[in-house]
Amino acid sequence: MDTAFKGEHLIPGHLGQFFIVLAFGAAILSTISYFFAAHPNNKLDKSWLWLGRIGFWLNTTSVVGIGTCLFYIISNHLFEYHYAWAHSSRSLPVYYIISSYWEGQEGSFWLWGFWQAVLGNILIWKAKSWERPVMAVIALSQVLISSFLLGIEIFGTRIGSSPFILLRQAIEGPIFSRPDYLGYIKDGNGLNPLLQNYWMVIHPPTLFLGFASMVVPFAYGIAGLWQKRYKEWVNPALSYALFAVMILGTGIIMGSFWAYESLNFGGFWAWDPVENASVIPWLTLIGAVHVLIVYKNTGHSYFTALFLTLISFILVLYASYLTRSGVLGETSVHAFTDLGMNAHLVIDVLVFLVISVGLIVLRWKDLPISKKEEETYSREFWMFVGSVFLALSCLQLVVVTSIPVWNAVFGTKVAPPNDKVTLYNIFQGAFAVVVALFMGFTQFLKYKKTEPARFLITSVTYLVSSLLIGGVVVWLTGVYKLHIVFVLLTFASIYAVLSNIKVLIDALKGKFKLTGSAVAHIGFGLLLIGALISAGTSKVVSENTTGEQYSAEFAKTTDPRENIMLYKNQPIKMAGYEVTYTGDSVALPNHYFKVNYKKYDANGKVTEDFTLKPNSQANRKLGLVSSPDTRHYLFRDIYTHVTMAPIKYDDELQSQAEGGHEADADDDKNYDPAVPHEVAIGDTIRFREGFMVLKALNREAKIENITLAATDVAVGADLQIVAHGKVYMAEPVYLIKDNNGYDFAKKVGDVGLKLRLSKIIPAKGKVEITVYQQPESQKPYIVMRAISFPYINFFWSGTIIMVIGFLMSIFRRNKELKTV
Amino acid sequence: MKKSSIFGLVIIAIAIAVIISTYSSSSTYGSFADAKQSGSTLQVVGHLNKEKELYYDAKRDANYFSFFIKDNKGAECKVIFTGTKPQDFERSEQVVLTGKMVGSEFHASKILMKCPSKYTQDKVEVTEVSAKQASI
Repeated sequence: MDTAFKGEHLIPGHLGQFFIVLAFGAAILSTISYFFAAHPNNKLDKSWLWLGRIGFWLNTTSVVGIGTCLFYIISNHLFEYHYAWAHSSRSLPVYYIISSYWEGQEGSFWLWGFWQAVLGNILIWKAKSWERPVMAVIALSQVLISSFLLGIEIFGTRIGSSPFILLRQAIEGPIFSRPDYLGYIKDGNGLNPLLQNYWMVIHPPTLFLGFASMVVPFAYGIAGLWQKRYKEWVNPALSYALFAVMILGTGIIMGSFWAYESLNFGGFWAWDPVENASVIPWLTLIGAVHVLIVYKNTGHSYFTALFLTLISFILVLYASYLTRSGVLGETSVHAFTDLGMNAHLVIDVLVFLVISVGLIVLRWKDLPISKKEEETYSREFWMFVGSVFLALSCLQLVVVTSIPVWNAVFGTKVAPPNDKVTLYNIFQGAFAVVVALFMGFTQFLKYKKTEPARFLITSVTYLVSSLLIGGVVVWLTGVYKLHIVFVLLTFASIYAVLSNIKVLIDALKGKFKLTGSAVAHIGFGLLLIGALISAGTSKVVSENTTGEQYSAEFAKTTDPRENIMLYKNQPIKMAGYEVTYTGDSVALPNHYFKVNYKKYDANGKVTEDFTLKPNSQANRKLGLVSSPDTRHYLFRDIYTHVTMAPIKYDDELQSQAEGGHEADADDDKNYDPAVPHEVAIGDTIRFREGFMVLKALNREAKIENITLAATDVAVGADLQIVAHGKVYMAEPVYLIKDNNGYDFAKKVGDVGLKLRLSKIIPAKGKVEITVYQQPESQKPYIVMRAISFPYINFFWSGTIIMVIGFLMSIFRRNKELKTV
Repeated sequence: MKKSSIFGLVIIAIAIAVIISTYSSSSTYGSFADAKQSGSTLQVVGHLNKEKELYYDAKRDANYFSFFIKDNKGAECKVIFTGTKPQDFERSEQVVLTGKMVGSEFHASKILMKCPSKYTQDKVEVTEVSAKQASI
């Protein structure tokens, strides 16, 4: 390129690219140095250790540098950079600049690398004797993550994708041969409206902190094998595993809450491959936490603990392959594109898989696998079995989610299940029944050996009481109408909650250290109950049986007709509510629709009255993008979402707001043919949606901007209009000025009326009122869908309780670490 | 037999059951011709015929949307979806329909569409560039 381009700011990009290469190089230096530092011969020599630390610190500084450059580029709207052009625009508020940061793959890799750098620094500070081997693994992971940002061609293949690539390098177009091309790139593409939400500011960082922290227990596991410290790694790994599980769980549920509050698929979980990919490693690490505890307390389940710890991180990498490589293609709603990093992502998975398998094989003979059988009546046995079941539920998720991968590997053309939601619900529900039962009765078992008789009595007592409570719950919520698996799951979850409440009460009496697990288990039980009832008994309340029958075949379809149409100010009865679309308010780029819900008791008195404001953006690039609005009750939510509305594109609204309103000349075309009525005072005129009464003639009517001379006459007709139970007033005016007659029409937008006082007939003592009605087709309307979600608050509160439980457990395990 | 080996067998049995059930519950990609022949629910991959009418009129029926899809074998069929027009449907480049044939129409219960330029926006649209040139 010899052309000198005008107006480009190349320095931040060059600096950023420099930091990327530096981050990559420093991570390699750190890995190699830590690797040699961990060698037994070098234990006393600290030079390798310091070199490793310096490398890692250099890497951390560079990662921060990359972030700063990228932030500078986006916040200064330097659209000569592809990343800024593709993900932001000038009109984007500052806090969403942060969201646009991680809208692209490069930004999310950066986020991952950033958290991993933070964790690495914590480990340098805290890990003491573990620092060398653990940091060698973390630095290696940092090498791979930095490599995804490189964007450099080596031997003809591009490695990674840099966020600092220029627009003219990323995209081909004749415009880029002009030296002043930047003059034409006035604005960026902007952030996808769906992502312009405060949850998008905090959900990705939380999720990625969760993903990044999965590497720490993995690194401890590898370090334990490598350094032959087979037993010691378990204690520190447990704390970090709990941390990872807590953060990742929070991140996943945040995503779920975001989807529920602002996306339009009508629910909090859709079993989309992307969601599955994040929950898979979470489940295996939960399993790992349990068997790590088993091993710590009894010496059993060593291999399972090691296996689940290692596989969890490998599954994180597999998940990033699934979601970032484009392999999901036809099966996911989330559009991920192939950045040409397919092989790179596979290598990332393979590197860590090979290290894990290799070390296990190498050390197999030395592993402290206990030869003794666990007792049947022991806590460790059932914790072990429960963890294996968690892993099995994962297996189902992995196998089904990976169908496109099997297709790619085996060259088959299998489509994913037609009704994947039901399939997943039933399978995962069945696994959850088993896991929840174990969560319940294992609480009554002790480590090593329990007396069977006593155990059976307590566990059966609790089982019976949960059957009783569960029976009531199942009856009241209508769960009994669902698949048997969900009925069983209700019983099992209640059992788990009850048993753990008992543990919690005991713990508060003295065995304080068990509170964390009891609280986390109660939270998880409530989460299951909430998810099950709200998803299982959620109901579309906007069922619509009207509409034309287009064909005999269409009339027979059993597909639910979930959308209802509302004309402005015409109330419709829907599931006990009277629903009215009352108007709009526009705060660009959002277009809010006011939907009023009213509920009446038997006497016709209003018992509930609230207005929801679902909104839509009519975006040129994306079409109509809608966000729901939800009325939250303690035990139920009413979710409302506009699926279709004839609104103008946001840029049209913008220009309208700037350029004033359109001329009124052709206004009459918007109405049905005019109907003149000759009326006297007190007479009534009927029209399609109601009636109006001429109350009085006002001889002192005033007209804006017109001063009346003594000879001028202005007469106003006071009309009272009644439509849809509402009363409106309007006063069209007839003016005689300088012997010429004029009339000034009045509009009543809510009922689609335009009224003229078109003639005064003194002879008859009457006036002529001309009524213009908007045809039905011109009236504003919305098409919306409403769903009720019962008991969804159990789901959210269960999550919060579970996170608190994790936090308590982390404190407990950290205390144990210090005392050991 | 030892307890752990019994447990191991149970686990293996469940794992095999999971894999078999996955295989049996999975669907097939087919063409409209396949759909007509089998009469059962399957998934058709195709693209929208943008020359023919996309019909949605909320005033007549808020839950009726019809359009024409050309499947990968080139056969064209009228498709009916019980619902509103999905956002940005006109721009879709590839559509995956789940549904079955009813008479001569394909009734889709699910539409999955891909608009590659949607999130990545790696295409400078020609129209857009020229519009900007005109604005100076």
